[in-house]
Amino acid sequence: MCGTADGEHERETGHDSVEEAERAQFSALLEDSAEDLYEHAPCGYLSTMLDGQIAKVNTTLLDWLGYTRDQLVGRRRFADLLTVGGKLYHETHFAPLLAMQGHLSGIALELRAADGSRLPVLVTSTVKTGSDGQPLLIRTTLFDARDRRAYEQELLRARKSAEQAQSQAETAHQEAETERARLQQVVAILQKSLLPPQLPQVPGLDAASYYHPASVDEIGGDFYDLFALAGGRWGFFLGDVCGKGPEAASATSLIRYTLRAAFLADSDPVQALATVHAALHERYAGEDPRYCTAIAGTLTPRPDGIAVTLAGGGHPSALLLRADGTAEFLPTPGGTLVGILPRPHFSTAHTLLGPGDTMLLYTDGLTEARTQAGPRYSEEDLHTFAAALAPAGAAATINALQGLLESFGAGLDDDTALLALGVPAANTIEGAAG
Amino acid sequence: MDAVSRNNVKVTGPVDGPVVMLAHGFGCDQNMWRLVVPQLVEHFRVVLFDYVGSGNADPSAWNRERYSSLEGYADDVLEICDQLDLTDVVFVGHSVSAMVGVLAAARRPHRFAKLIMVAPSPCYIDDPATGYTGGFTAGDIDELLESLDSNYLGWSGAMAPVIMGNPDRPELGQELTNSFCATDPVMASVFAHTTFHSDSRADLASVAVPTLVLECSQDVIAPREAGAFVHAAIPGSRLVTLDATGHCPQLSAPQATGTAIMEFAGAAR
Amino acid sequence: MTPELTINAGHNATGPVLALVGDLDHATAPQLRTAVTDTALTPGQILTLDLSAVAFCDSSGITALIAAHRRALAQEADLVLADVPARVLRILRILGLDQVLRLAGQ
Repeated sequence: MCGTADGEHERETGHDSVEEAERAQFSALLEDSAEDLYEHAPCGYLSTMLDGQIAKVNTTLLDWLGYTRDQLVGRRRFADLLTVGGKLYHETHFAPLLAMQGHLSGIALELRAADGSRLPVLVTSTVKTGSDGQPLLIRTTLFDARDRRAYEQELLRARKSAEQAQSQAETAHQEAETERARLQQVVAILQKSLLPPQLPQVPGLDAASYYHPASVDEIGGDFYDLFALAGGRWGFFLGDVCGKGPEAASATSLIRYTLRAAFLADSDPVQALATVHAALHERYAGEDPRYCTAIAGTLTPRPDGIAVTLAGGGHPSALLLRADGTAEFLPTPGGTLVGILPRPHFSTAHTLLGPGDTMLLYTDGLTEARTQAGPRYSEEDLHTFAAALAPAGAAATINALQGLLESFGAGLDDDTALLALGVPAANTIEGAAG
Repeated sequence: MDAVSRNNVKVTGPVDGPVVMLAHGFGCDQNMWRLVVPQLVEHFRVVLFDYVGSGNADPSAWNRERYSSLEGYADDVLEICDQLDLTDVVFVGHSVSAMVGVLAAARRPHRFAKLIMVAPSPCYIDDPATGYTGGFTAGDIDELLESLDSNYLGWSGAMAPVIMGNPDRPELGQELTNSFCATDPVMASVFAHTTFHSDSRADLASVAVPTLVLECSQDVIAPREAGAFVHAAIPGSRLVTLDATGHCPQLSAPQATGTAIMEFAGAAR
Repeated sequence: MTPELTINAGHNATGPVLALVGDLDHATAPQLRTAVTDTALTPGQILTLDLSAVAFCDSSGITALIAAHRRALAQEADLVLADVPARVLRILRILGLDQVLRLAGQ
């Protein structure tokens, strides 16, 4: 029971003290003068003349900056409180805008405190005008923006690093593109150096050629040439170096010039291939053997056409498109690839190209191409194609085969070289003679 | 190339009046001149424009290389003069534009009659080697770029409503809002670099036309020393010190600025 | 197109056997070279390359076959190509390699 009485007494006393406290708080609120609010507001207040001269400043701002009122009022201008960068910004952006608009808000600036430290603030300014509309003074409110500035700087840092990363990626991409273009140019130039710029005009002979590079980025290893020999005869060859790229191109260059030189010394095609073999064997004796396959031959004009002697070194057989509409291979049995075997063997074959006959030389890019239907093209398919095509002159043959190659599309994944040598049909000759 | 539309050129005043071309400085556009234009149009044919990268000039015409040197800004001026075939121009250049005017006049002397340099500084960075006072260090300029960056984030969003909603200034239409506030931060940054890293001291000797140096008595950006340097470097130039604070007397003291321009531009040629 | 090659190593009465499954081309030829180098050969043995499951062979593959032949000869051993598919055989014939390399099981 005592407990109850004590409790009630206490409760009454407690009730009284709560009411008293509330009253005290309320009256304190009432007593909060506008002046006190101005001085101790949670933001800085600053009033300046139109030229920026400080006329009035609140305690909050003085505390932030570590100045006394006497140090600022009538002695300093608003811009004097800013960092140097802030001053420039103030003069070039803030002041002109304020003068033109009469109001400005949310501008990020940095104040320089008495101790030299920086205080990021967000500044809002209004021009107070008199009843006649004439500007009188500038009222400025400053909010502590340290947290916001830290956050903004983080955003800026992120933006800058993103921009930097993007620009680096773009630069790298451009450099790669430039490099690729340069490389393709080099490849194209080198490739040209491995092929005759144009075939020579041979009396009584039509010649046509085509080269399909498998890639613009890599030099292929196919080669061919047609050139004059002593005594009104002509030499020709077509071949394929194993592999691609600079190594293959280097071997191709060696082979091409060796063949031409060998033909000049001795017009026997077998001897020419043997010379190339010796050169390759000597040059690539080590770990990275290089070989090529090739057909090399000579053309000897005769009254009834052009006599062909050719030697084969492991190369797909030449194909003859006869004037009578048939097609036949001209094999060189037993010929082995050039440059890699201890005891190579090169065999010869002979034929006569009469009026309307055309001889086609090609590399295995043609016969190894993947057809759209799936299986790879083959010598048999080529024979069928040629038989349907014959009779055809050199240019017509190359044209038709070019169309065939295009029909393979992406299935044509290797370099392909074509060389057609033909004797014009009789009526053409008569026409020319007439 | 159409410089007139590219540079948002505005021509007002009597068609047969002497030509006064008003060129704004960094951070502003042609609206900077709005308080002095009413005075001038009574007697002069006034040509206003925005440099590419500022105000309402065509932003697609901007490229970093051209506008990374004051010559690029001088190209803007000359291309406008060429297209309008202006002669006997009184070129009024504020701040960095004063130096743009020097470059332009040197390249097409026949187009320019007089030069008025408002709050000019031929070099903003101190040069202790020659005892020159520009008022700033290179580090200060970096601080400015920082300020530009930090204001870019909240700039257009915070500013646009304020200006658009300003009923007391109907002349500040949407056009102005867009132009003045939405300056591209990259272009502004390049202009700031170009402006504050420029050193045109050696170019001043080339000035061959009557020149007025109009400085402010208290200028945070172009100190009195800079005005004195320009005055000394241009033979026969006149120096007038306006009783004005800040770097933009055409805003803080438009009457006095306009009068000084009129007096010099209208004086016997 | 699966440009892959699997090589299974084994032995028969005459010596080691490498059974190739897949394409023998530019991408896979180094695999064959390595496998051959890693295969111990003693004089008189025959290294058998079982080509029955080789679908395609290009010039790089041919080079690897020739290199294997060279290596076998250098070890005083021999090389045999077993069960060469028609397609590969055709290439070997064109190249004249059918006269140089020993073929078995045709």
